[in-house]
Amino acid sequence: MAKRTKSKEDYYLASQWTLMARKLKKHKLAQVSFIILAVLYIGALFADFLAPYSLDEFDGLYRNSAPTEIYTIFNDEHVGPHVYKLAKTIDKKTFEVKLEPDLSEYYKIEWFVHGTEYKILGLFPCDLHLFGVGEGSNGGTGAKIFLFGADSLGRDIFSRVLLGARISLSIPFASAFISFFLGVAIGSISGYFGGVIDIIIQRIIEVIGAVPQIPLWMALSAAIPAGISTVKMYFYMTIILSFINWTGMARVVRGKFLSLKNEDYVMAARISGVSTWKIIWKHLVPGFMSYLIVSLTLGIPGSIVGETSMSYLGLGIKSPATSWGVLLQEASSVTDVAANPHKLIPIIFVTITVLAFNFLGDGMRDAADPYK
Amino acid sequence: MEKDNIIEVKDLHVDIKMMEGTLTPVRGVNFEIKRGETLGLVGESGCGKSITCKSILAINDRKCTPHGEIMFRNEDDTEVDILKMDPKGKEIRNIRGKQISMIFQEPMVAFSPMYTIGNQITEATLLHITKDKKKAKEISLEVMRKVGIANVEKRYNQYPHEFSGGMLQRALIAMALVCNPKLLIADEPTTALDVTIQAQILELMKELQKEFNMAILFITHDLGVVARMCDRVAVMYLGKVVETGDSKTIYANPQHPYTRGLMGSVHKIGGRKDERLFSIEGTVPLAMNLPKQCGFYDRCDCRIEGLCDKAEPELVEIEPGHKIACFNCSNPACQAHRAEVEKRLAEEAANPVEPDEGGKKRGKR
Amino acid sequence: MAKRSFGDSFKAFFQKDLVQYIIKRVLMFIPTILLISILVFFVIQLPPGDYVSAHIAALATEGELVDADYAASMRADYGLDLPVWQQYLKWVKGIIWTPTDSAYYRLYHSHHNWKYSFAYGRDVWSVVNDRLGLTIGVTAIIMLFQYLVSIPIAVYASTHQYSVGDYISAIIGFLGTAIPNFILAIVLMYLSYKWTGNANVGLFSQEMLQNGVHLYNFGDFLKRMIIPIIVIGTSGTCGIIRSVRAQMLDEVAQQYTLTARAKGVPEGKIIMKYCFRAAINPTVSGLGGVLSSLFSGSTVTALVLNMQIQGPVLYKALQSQDMYLAGAIVMIQAVLVVIGVLLSDIALAFLDPRIRYSGGNR
Repeated sequence: MAKRTKSKEDYYLASQWTLMARKLKKHKLAQVSFIILAVLYIGALFADFLAPYSLDEFDGLYRNSAPTEIYTIFNDEHVGPHVYKLAKTIDKKTFEVKLEPDLSEYYKIEWFVHGTEYKILGLFPCDLHLFGVGEGSNGGTGAKIFLFGADSLGRDIFSRVLLGARISLSIPFASAFISFFLGVAIGSISGYFGGVIDIIIQRIIEVIGAVPQIPLWMALSAAIPAGISTVKMYFYMTIILSFINWTGMARVVRGKFLSLKNEDYVMAARISGVSTWKIIWKHLVPGFMSYLIVSLTLGIPGSIVGETSMSYLGLGIKSPATSWGVLLQEASSVTDVAANPHKLIPIIFVTITVLAFNFLGDGMRDAADPYK
Repeated sequence: MEKDNIIEVKDLHVDIKMMEGTLTPVRGVNFEIKRGETLGLVGESGCGKSITCKSILAINDRKCTPHGEIMFRNEDDTEVDILKMDPKGKEIRNIRGKQISMIFQEPMVAFSPMYTIGNQITEATLLHITKDKKKAKEISLEVMRKVGIANVEKRYNQYPHEFSGGMLQRALIAMALVCNPKLLIADEPTTALDVTIQAQILELMKELQKEFNMAILFITHDLGVVARMCDRVAVMYLGKVVETGDSKTIYANPQHPYTRGLMGSVHKIGGRKDERLFSIEGTVPLAMNLPKQCGFYDRCDCRIEGLCDKAEPELVEIEPGHKIACFNCSNPACQAHRAEVEKRLAEEAANPVEPDEGGKKRGKR
Repeated sequence: MAKRSFGDSFKAFFQKDLVQYIIKRVLMFIPTILLISILVFFVIQLPPGDYVSAHIAALATEGELVDADYAASMRADYGLDLPVWQQYLKWVKGIIWTPTDSAYYRLYHSHHNWKYSFAYGRDVWSVVNDRLGLTIGVTAIIMLFQYLVSIPIAVYASTHQYSVGDYISAIIGFLGTAIPNFILAIVLMYLSYKWTGNANVGLFSQEMLQNGVHLYNFGDFLKRMIIPIIVIGTSGTCGIIRSVRAQMLDEVAQQYTLTARAKGVPEGKIIMKYCFRAAINPTVSGLGGVLSSLFSGSTVTALVLNMQIQGPVLYKALQSQDMYLAGAIVMIQAVLVVIGVLLSDIALAFLDPRIRYSGGNR
């Protein structure tokens, strides 16, 4: 009995975040999603190291080649994981040029190989890559390992998925934060002050909401001047994506404000002479922070789709920089994809990420109502 | 089933299966109601009152599984067990609204906002009495007039949001009475209303009871209301009836410590002693994995250590029509029950093997 | 009198406060449209340079050099040399009313001048009009599909909570909302090509484009609609399923459901009369959003699937900075969405007596 009372008291005394975390722990799918997202983000952070090749490395011979096959047995002898170099062969009957593995020598897959130089986290120069292909058993060179195959220019899709993840995963995140601050600021102004300000802000939100999202995104992206640097492009994309997303956040904040601003504790703070901004940030915002985090999480998948679609259409990130959307451009021709289905691999990453954010957001939404 | 009784609830248990375990909000409730009589079911929030009365209509949530018997005297004077009926079947639907109807706590949410009051009142008439829409409307208007709604023709076509709280409660009563039921279940019908309106509604219910000659099961936690309305009272605590009897007797001579606590809080409102009475050691415990002891043990001021925490007392008749479930009472019937249980406990202590009766009762079915 | 007859509803519909409500809504519609036009004009003005510079650059790549005088006269012709706000006013004025004695009216016999599409070398309205009917038609078909499929599933799922069917619909619903439209399009196209040897791209076959859609090739047309319907419709369908289901569960838990049950109303009638009727309201009010996401989803999908609707035209217009055309398409879509919102608001007032009563001051 005493124990029960204690746990009950714990329950009532626990902060909202503790309760949320506790509830989230029960939501298996959300947990798995969180782990997947963590892996993806860490992967993107150390993409240079994890990817065997850099963005501009290519091998014309390997154009459109399927994922490199990995063998372990060479001439009936177990030599560990290795690959073969591809060589052009001509079918004597049909005169078709084919790429066949050259079985005369094998190339071992090695850990921590030296390759193109890069900077870890953009700071320390380094040329180590997690794995790569070493020298051939007869001293030959030039074998490649393309885990996900190669694109039409002979570039490694695996490396590009990893390096593209940096942009595809960070733009939505950055834009989510911008829309978060915009949304909270504008929504709280609208909700707290009400009156004419509220009416004007509501009208603006309504108008932005009425314009279909992707056409508006397209129109805004089309406005980005051609031939600008990738960094600038990145910046513009972030702004464009947040341009629409803040409205949803602002609406949530406004609604919460309207319901909370007449609560006794707000009245008490006001009577004690606390300043308006302090009331907003210290008393009101914490009251619905969990809801905001949830809508933030649920807003990210939309931005991912936005960035991917824009880049896919060539209105966003452009080569030589890459994102998942740019990679999907390779998949736009049906006949090409039918011949090289490995070009659909980036789709798996987009889908998994979007699903994971949705599941995580859903789990958090359930958890945000901790007393339920 | 006795001839006078319209309903007999026997050993009613309700289980709710949950992730954390099985909740037993009702753990063996017994009572009966005679024709034209009013029984008050009293207790704190969460003691199982509402679940008990919903079980009578078999409109409990899907997760609730009731056991026991609820014998009801049907139209043709046969006795039927409501718990044996399919809760979605035709048989029970013929009882609901027609023979037993219910008034809910909050009139504001008891009507659908989508339909007119008239539509919702007439619905029951059309289901149970007549298929003729005109006649059904006439009947509804008549009942609406009886419950004191003015300007019924206009009110009939209005929506719930156009009614005040008191008016809505009247409409709700009209809806419950429209088929002239034999038993009316009133689940805290005045809790959500102003005090002045409360009095009006109670007065109205009394009048209508006489006119329609129906029995009322009145659920409340307000003892003042009980005194005013009820012939008999059943006091519930933690899913069990702990004391039952004529309301006069119980008011004059409450025997169970819990009832005494309740009475004390009404009579000496504002007194220090009462405050302490109601703040004894927290709240009603959660009805899950309850230990084998008297439900009131933790909060009781006259518990017997070594007995009350080992066994649960059963209802014992201490004078005609007055029953209590407590070991600590000087009445000979209680003393006999106590001696019997003490003997059993001593035997159990001697050879501690078998699961006892109490275990069975706590719903291992 | 148990059911509200149509006559009653009709009378209720034209109650004074309802008429006021509708008038208020329609009046609010006008400033919204004006604000949208400002937003659209602002967006189409954003690209650096204008059509003339894009055109000159295009000519230059073909080796044709244009002198500055010619460029300036071209700008003057199109009114591109005016300050932005004057260009905006001219644009809006032309759309609202072009007088009979204007050159435009003499040429096109229309009082609504949406300006000239530089890229198509035609009146913007004629370019838009080419595909407007089809766009609206395809959108309407998909919308119909969405509601017809999703609502029964949602009602089933909510009345059979935690059943196998409920779980299946929840999983499909989740996948459907989460997977981006155009990615689904690519995958389905690939699968269709793999299995049938035909990617079923485009709404019309070559043959249909020549002879038009008739009864004999209607089947083929329907076949070509399958992928677009699935791709564009799925996310919305799943969204509606999820929201209607949640709404239904809310309603089932309402006190009045219990009241109805205590009256002896049969289960099926409780679900339809009380729960469903109340649960449908948020769905009706979500119509504008559904329309907006349909336009949004169909734009990229149409490009992937090479559908003959407005998406690809918009894309081309944006690429070549054909701003009046792009503006017109975005504007028309936005206005259609706002009309959708307006209609759903009025429908909601008709369906929900509380709104009717308060005159919409929710």
